[in-house]
Amino acid sequence: MTIASIGWHRPASLAEACALGLRYGSDAAFLAGGTELIPDYQRARETAQHLIALESVPGMRGISQDQGLLRIGALTTIAAVAASPLVRELVPALADAARAIGSPQIRSMATIGGNFCRAVPCADTPPAAIVSAARVRLVGTTGARELDAVDFFTGARATALAAGEVLVEIVIPVQPPHSGASYQRFARRRGPALAVAAVAARLTLDGDRVAEARIALGAVSPTPLTVARASALLKGAKPSAALFEAAGELCAQAALPISDVRGSADYRRELVRVLARRAFQEAVARAGGSVQ
Amino acid sequence: MSGELMIRLNVNGEDRALAVRPNATLLAVLRDDLGLTGAKRGCGAGDCGACTVQVEGEPVASCLMLAAAADGKTVTTVEGLARGGDLHPLQKAFVKHGALQCGYCTSGALMSAKALLDRDPDPSRDDIKAALSGNLCRCGTYGRMVSAVEGWREHDGVPLDALPRAHGERDQERDHAVVGRGVTRYDGPDKVTGRAKYTADLRLPGMLYGKMFGSPIAHGRITRLDVSRARALPGVVDVLTAADVPAVWYGVSPAREDEQLLASDRVRYVGDEIAAVAAVDEETALRAIELIEVELEELPAVFDPEAAMAPGAPVIHPEKPRYAGNVNTRVDWHFGDVEKGFADADHIREQRFVGNRTYQAPMEPHAALARWENHADRLTIWTSTQTPHYVHRSLSRMLGMPMGNIRVIRPPVGGGFGAKAEATPLDYCSAIFAKRTGRPVMMEYSREEMFKHFRGRHKQYIDLKIGVKRDGTITAVEQRVVLDGGAYTSYGVITAYYAGSMLPTLYRMPNYRYEGTRVYTNLPASGAFRGHGVPQPRFAFESLLDMIAEDIGLDPIDIRLRNATLPNTRTCNALDISSCEFTATLLRARDTSKWPEKKGKLPRGKGIGVGCGGFVSGAGYPIYRSDFPHSNAVIRVHEDGTGVSLHIAAAEIGQGSDTVLVQMAAEELGVPYEWVWLADCDTTTSPLDLGSYSSRVTLMAGHAVQRAAAKVRAQVLAIAAGELSRDAASLVARGGRIFVRDEPAVEMEWAAAARLAFGRHGPLVGTGSYQPPKDLGGDFKGGAVGTSPAYSFSTVIAEVTVDLETGQVSVDRVTDFSDAGTVINPVTFHGQVEGSIVMGLGETLLEDTLFDSKGSAMNPNLHDYLIPTMQETPEIHTAAVESFEPNGPFGAKEVGEGSLVPVLGAIANAIYDACGVRVTELPASPEKILRGLAARAPADGVAAPPGETLPGLAGHTAAGGVPA
Repeated sequence: MTIASIGWHRPASLAEACALGLRYGSDAAFLAGGTELIPDYQRARETAQHLIALESVPGMRGISQDQGLLRIGALTTIAAVAASPLVRELVPALADAARAIGSPQIRSMATIGGNFCRAVPCADTPPAAIVSAARVRLVGTTGARELDAVDFFTGARATALAAGEVLVEIVIPVQPPHSGASYQRFARRRGPALAVAAVAARLTLDGDRVAEARIALGAVSPTPLTVARASALLKGAKPSAALFEAAGELCAQAALPISDVRGSADYRRELVRVLARRAFQEAVARAGGSVQ
Repeated sequence: MSGELMIRLNVNGEDRALAVRPNATLLAVLRDDLGLTGAKRGCGAGDCGACTVQVEGEPVASCLMLAAAADGKTVTTVEGLARGGDLHPLQKAFVKHGALQCGYCTSGALMSAKALLDRDPDPSRDDIKAALSGNLCRCGTYGRMVSAVEGWREHDGVPLDALPRAHGERDQERDHAVVGRGVTRYDGPDKVTGRAKYTADLRLPGMLYGKMFGSPIAHGRITRLDVSRARALPGVVDVLTAADVPAVWYGVSPAREDEQLLASDRVRYVGDEIAAVAAVDEETALRAIELIEVELEELPAVFDPEAAMAPGAPVIHPEKPRYAGNVNTRVDWHFGDVEKGFADADHIREQRFVGNRTYQAPMEPHAALARWENHADRLTIWTSTQTPHYVHRSLSRMLGMPMGNIRVIRPPVGGGFGAKAEATPLDYCSAIFAKRTGRPVMMEYSREEMFKHFRGRHKQYIDLKIGVKRDGTITAVEQRVVLDGGAYTSYGVITAYYAGSMLPTLYRMPNYRYEGTRVYTNLPASGAFRGHGVPQPRFAFESLLDMIAEDIGLDPIDIRLRNATLPNTRTCNALDISSCEFTATLLRARDTSKWPEKKGKLPRGKGIGVGCGGFVSGAGYPIYRSDFPHSNAVIRVHEDGTGVSLHIAAAEIGQGSDTVLVQMAAEELGVPYEWVWLADCDTTTSPLDLGSYSSRVTLMAGHAVQRAAAKVRAQVLAIAAGELSRDAASLVARGGRIFVRDEPAVEMEWAAAARLAFGRHGPLVGTGSYQPPKDLGGDFKGGAVGTSPAYSFSTVIAEVTVDLETGQVSVDRVTDFSDAGTVINPVTFHGQVEGSIVMGLGETLLEDTLFDSKGSAMNPNLHDYLIPTMQETPEIHTAAVESFEPNGPFGAKEVGEGSLVPVLGAIANAIYDACGVRVTELPASPEKILRGLAARAPADGVAAPPGETLPGLAGHTAAGGVPA
């Protein structure tokens, strides 16, 4: 299929990109890797008449460590995130989530910013970023602001971005000591396939107890879903199979899945239970702890 | 800013400056502006990988990259791999390992592999599988691709020749020079370089692009159709509606001509064609389609075949009273005495099984390019088809033109599996447009349109009952099958017969009753899919046989051995089986898989299962009544005797038929394989062949080739006899030399003898034909379906792991032994079997086309309709057993379809062995497995005893409910 004729803009600066975004408003779409945007055009899900290619905007690509903060430019490809030694060392669950996306061809085009901004419910990197306490830096025509990643997502395919605002980078703080995180997803095949359900978890240990638990579910609600009740149950408890089973059950109850061609709501709920348990187990192992 | 942009690309080392529109994809610019058609459009959505190129060294889906976004970058396409006349070692490795079949995915797979090797020249097998996981190959050639990438260095600096890679690679010992050897695939070099031009790769000056417009609803009457806005769009050259095309009822099956090219009144499924547009480019044609206005009176629709037969159901073909109750075909067969057979049984078991509506999903979308020949009232059409002859005949009937005025050319075909076995609306409409506009017209289906056109597997509802003696001997079999036919017949009459006719070929069954009912529904038409009607009944049979074996305490292989068909058998339904090494396939598979050490002894979650199958080696009768031989060949020797041209219209669709036909020609002539040129498949130069369906090519076209070659050889030997002063009967032609059998020193060059023959008698030509025996089959209605000169047999043993928490099944290892008669080429043989295993895995575990409550397709794309990737592919062991088919050329018979048939049952039986869940509905989705596991676990946590079957696995129907 081909897409309708469009206006093409290739701003050379962030300010210019924001100004164009503001000028065209909802009639503009920012183009990064295009792996979501171009198919959305083809199935008439995207109708913006102006494409603003961010390709040439400087300073939005790359992964760096700066005063303890891991900074991932929004235009960094998923392949680069997956392969980055820094990401693998500091937030391995995010590297796992990146590696789970699409095919090599998709990962070398798709960007982490695009994975956030298209805000597809089954996107893989947001849950992993959210449990890592990631923040997003947005720049608009009137200045910059930072949000917790979890607050960036406002609905299925909807974000907190205002007109003319660009997601510039994802900032991940130093992970607390004795922490481990895991990203568990289920798909119908091992080869490239969208997640049917996913669970990200980060557990921080204090001695033989869980000091903090962060959990985010993917593909089972319009936005990545944190599960406060499960986190509260885990907090202060000793890791055990029974505890993880109970916390997994709370995750399953919290999920708001739909039925579609990839799986029924009931099945997705069941998957959340299983994936949550597996995520807790891997997180504890990565934190250097053990499960009773 | 919506005008054209100037961009600069470095493509394959050359700097190019191009004006592009901002919405043009890199793929479109490479193919249309630069003529680099190696990168293919398989899905247009980044799902299939056929369009993979390297941008700045990284593999990308060029269908998702805007050309404008590639400005200033370096692009490498498959055309940039070879250096000068020498192929890249990776390309040679692909050819030598047989790592390509239809070739449509090959360019993309090569570019993914190249990007990997640029980064890591010695990748692990796991790295290779990950790197190529985004390159779908429906031929299932994954294992060979892994080996090729792994072994690429072996081909560095080594010329590509025709000799087998592994020295003398053969499965069977035969005294042949060319037959039986894994020679280099005839179409290999063209397919690894991007030189092979598939239909959609062709470009003609002034060419228009056409698109179809289909019904938005599943059942209705057209009350208003207005194409004036579409016609008025600048760039639109012509629009067709029913008024502009012949009002002919057509269909590939003469028994049921129930289709019309464009609907004038009634539409019967979502996508039923209503109009077509031809415009200066594809984008304009698509925009014009959106301007077509149609109003429909919606009629009640039915999507379930059993509901469609009920009183009061909507009538889908009211104009044809013979289809009352929406019954399209009914079969009622009774052989022997089933009542007596069941009375004689010690144990009887019956079970309902439900299949799935799987789609062939060839990687190449259907395409046709038509040109009206202005110097006469004649048509040339290039079309992606498995059956050039049926397209030829259908066009002749639709257009009211003699076949002599129509020239059908079949370019390379990127897979078919039955999806391309009849003329499509693209063939008809492109031809009509070409005549009306005077310009060449290209038409292509999108991936979504392919799913809507369908002609895939009939979903079958199978009630099967088997009776056995205490020792496992089958006494009676009763099978009732309801087939979901969709809105039209396609090949479905034959499907309904095949679903019953092939069961008695594997096991002796003295008493057999079959009732088949093919029913119209408001879904896309079902047709002929690899194994044509047989895989689902065979899945049911192999499953029920295992259930019975467990009931009576027999090993599943032992119950099969007890009943296995023996050579030279006439089945209860009057099919004559000549060669049959079925027992050998069971025994060899049992040994190689180490079955006795595994069956019943694996830990919970791991399982092993057996399934068997087979197929015809060519249908005994053609689709329509005709006296023509089914296959015909002409062989012509070049005047100096150093080259040979083979003219045959058989259809290479990836199965390797070009290669095996060339091998048979070379063998029979007594010349090297490299001497033979295969002429393009073109009805003006190649005589009639019925095409690639019913696994007929090796046997039938092979016979025609062998006979044509024998005539040429006789002429050459007659000349040589004179020159050598010996009797022609004492001479042997082999490898380009002619010598006396008992005095090899007395010899001459084959070419010299051929040169003399040409000099004396003019063109040295031989013709050959093949007609199956006239009297095949029983004298009962439908007795023709299932007849064949020969039958294949195979056994598959599958080993699986079931994730007991998610229900996910992975297939770890598959062992296959096939009786395919003489194997003409072991590389293409193994490629076909391996591909069948991969495809069968998909049909068993992953695939089903799904529809919402209004009959709209829910997954008409390759990210929701998931087919196996390299990462699903198990470890596969395949081998041929010793066999010789007296009715086949050189003793050969089929393997391409029969090898799919056993896979479904083998995997289902392995799942049962692993976790006690009996799969009765396909696909065996993890959700169904999990529900089965839950139903088996009573509250006290003690697992239910094995042998329990779970009818409750149903409940998620495709049309209406929640898909599983």
